[in-house]
Amino acid sequence: MSAVLDLIARCGAERPALLWLLPLALLPLVAAPRRRTPLPSLSAVPADPLSRALDGALRAAACLALAGLVVGLAGPYRNGAEVTRTGIGAEISMLIDRSGSMNETFAGRQPSGAEESKAAASRRILGDFVGSRAHDLFAVTGFSTAPMLVLPMTDRHEAVRAAIRAIDRPGLDYTNVGRGLALALAQFGSGPGTASRVLLLVSDGAAVIDPRVQDALRAAFAKVRPNLYWLFLRTKGSPGIADRPAGEDTPQAAPERHLDLFFKSLGAPYRAFEAEGPEAVAAAIRQIEGLERDPIPYIERRPRRDLTGAAYAAALLGLVLLILGKLAEADLGRAPAPAATRAPERRIAA
Amino acid sequence: MSADIVYLPRWRARGPRAGAHRARETGGLGSFKDQVSFLRLPDARRIDLRATLRDPFEGVHVRRFEARMAVEVWALVDLSASMRFSGAADRMALVGALCQGLAASATRIGDGFGLIACDAGIREDLSLIATRRRASAAEAAVRIGQARPTGRSAAGLLAAAARIAGRPKLVFLISDFRWPEALLEQVFASLSFHDVVPVLLADSRETEALPEWGLLELEDLEGAGSRLVLMRPALRRRWLAQEGERMARLARLARRNGREPFRLADRFDPEALSRHLLGA
Repeated sequence: MSAVLDLIARCGAERPALLWLLPLALLPLVAAPRRRTPLPSLSAVPADPLSRALDGALRAAACLALAGLVVGLAGPYRNGAEVTRTGIGAEISMLIDRSGSMNETFAGRQPSGAEESKAAASRRILGDFVGSRAHDLFAVTGFSTAPMLVLPMTDRHEAVRAAIRAIDRPGLDYTNVGRGLALALAQFGSGPGTASRVLLLVSDGAAVIDPRVQDALRAAFAKVRPNLYWLFLRTKGSPGIADRPAGEDTPQAAPERHLDLFFKSLGAPYRAFEAEGPEAVAAAIRQIEGLERDPIPYIERRPRRDLTGAAYAAALLGLVLLILGKLAEADLGRAPAPAATRAPERRIAA
Repeated sequence: MSADIVYLPRWRARGPRAGAHRARETGGLGSFKDQVSFLRLPDARRIDLRATLRDPFEGVHVRRFEARMAVEVWALVDLSASMRFSGAADRMALVGALCQGLAASATRIGDGFGLIACDAGIREDLSLIATRRRASAAEAAVRIGQARPTGRSAAGLLAAAARIAGRPKLVFLISDFRWPEALLEQVFASLSFHDVVPVLLADSRETEALPEWGLLELEDLEGAGSRLVLMRPALRRRWLAQEGERMARLARLARRNGREPFRLADRFDPEALSRHLLGA
């Protein structure tokens, strides 16, 4: 019973007022649209279960036809709904560096010929990553001087791939990783998520994070608790994450090293991948994919569905049955009267 | 005018009125019955000389002749709603034709014709006390032919039977006999003193001419609702068998009272009725 109520609650009609005509569908229980043949007494007719069943079926068909027509006129539909399901995946917020250096190759030159820029390589590899698991949720954020919200958290992988395809557009110059991180964290939403959360930072350099921004970031990390992956696209010859500078060890002198230290101090699970070529990037991504294998509840959207056709089909079925019944109608005395009654007369006359 | 219906009462009529039928009484110019002694019937005009001379004891014998008496012919018409059926022929038109024939045939030979129409009670407006007046008998017969039966039962026939109790009469019980078994028994029992000719009104459309195949929405004329029937050869056979059984039951009941029922179907044939009345 509750299942039926639930079903009704999920349906609607364009013109609900017409549904007041639905009691008309009970009319066939009272009267049948058939020619009535008078008979002196029904007791002459032998009891016949088949006829009784057929009567019931035709009445039901008539009810169905009327109900189908009324419901069809009212324009029924099933509401769109969001169904929560569980799959394997993670909420992944990508934070992608759009600074100008991303348009260079891993060798630090402008790409020429078959060479691939860092942005193009990450675009290709991340694009493959997005399609590989059905139930991942992705958000894409770009950053250079200011963070750019490219795509909020979504399960539409086509849109995510389109967003990723756009990241090898010529970038701007400056790298402001602090505000980018804040926006990428904000992509997870405010509530405590049930899925595992991944913050994937793709950059080819680092910058100093303002101490005040650092405090805000610490708070945000503590609240969201993402797994942090830093895919560092290292240009050949540039300082690595672990390299200590020759001179004074300050954030200004070695921003990569100090960003790494900052990440480690956050207390969130954190891994850094240092990639010096497309293959290394692909390997790092595969590793991340392997690490993030937790169940994730995801939402499947069912669009609103028009049920008019189904209603008219039901009405048609009922009407066809009724028409068949009508065509099968017979009449008393259609058959020619037998000549037997006349025979004795002729004998007398002869 | 339809041909005469010839009928022969099964009993010797009694009564005060001279007529056309052999009677139990003697007298008049009937056919020879027997001889009795002059002392029993001192009628000098009818002394049988031959028998008187032949008698060794020298008694005087007188011939006796059967008187011819009139009988009363009654038509008891069932006006329950099932009689409204109109198939190959209109049922009440058949009843009208039959009653006109009976009225004409009875009054022509001096018999009285009476008519009682019954539904749940007696319909006085359509009934007629036995009369020898040709005009009123014919008029009553025409009236019954135009009547519109609406009754829910035929129980009035019991009252009718009580009304015509008395001397034996020739009673035509005109109905389709779609009655409950109990009523059937009661009516025949209450009429057992009379010479009852059951006239069963039938119609080829409700029996032989039933369709082999098809859907029929049948409506009961007596108000028992309607029913959908899928006609097919097997069901038709069963239907006809059931009707045949009903007919046989009625015939058994009627034979107990002396006569076979006459089946009046589709058209009224006075000669067939005469043959039935003389032969059976």
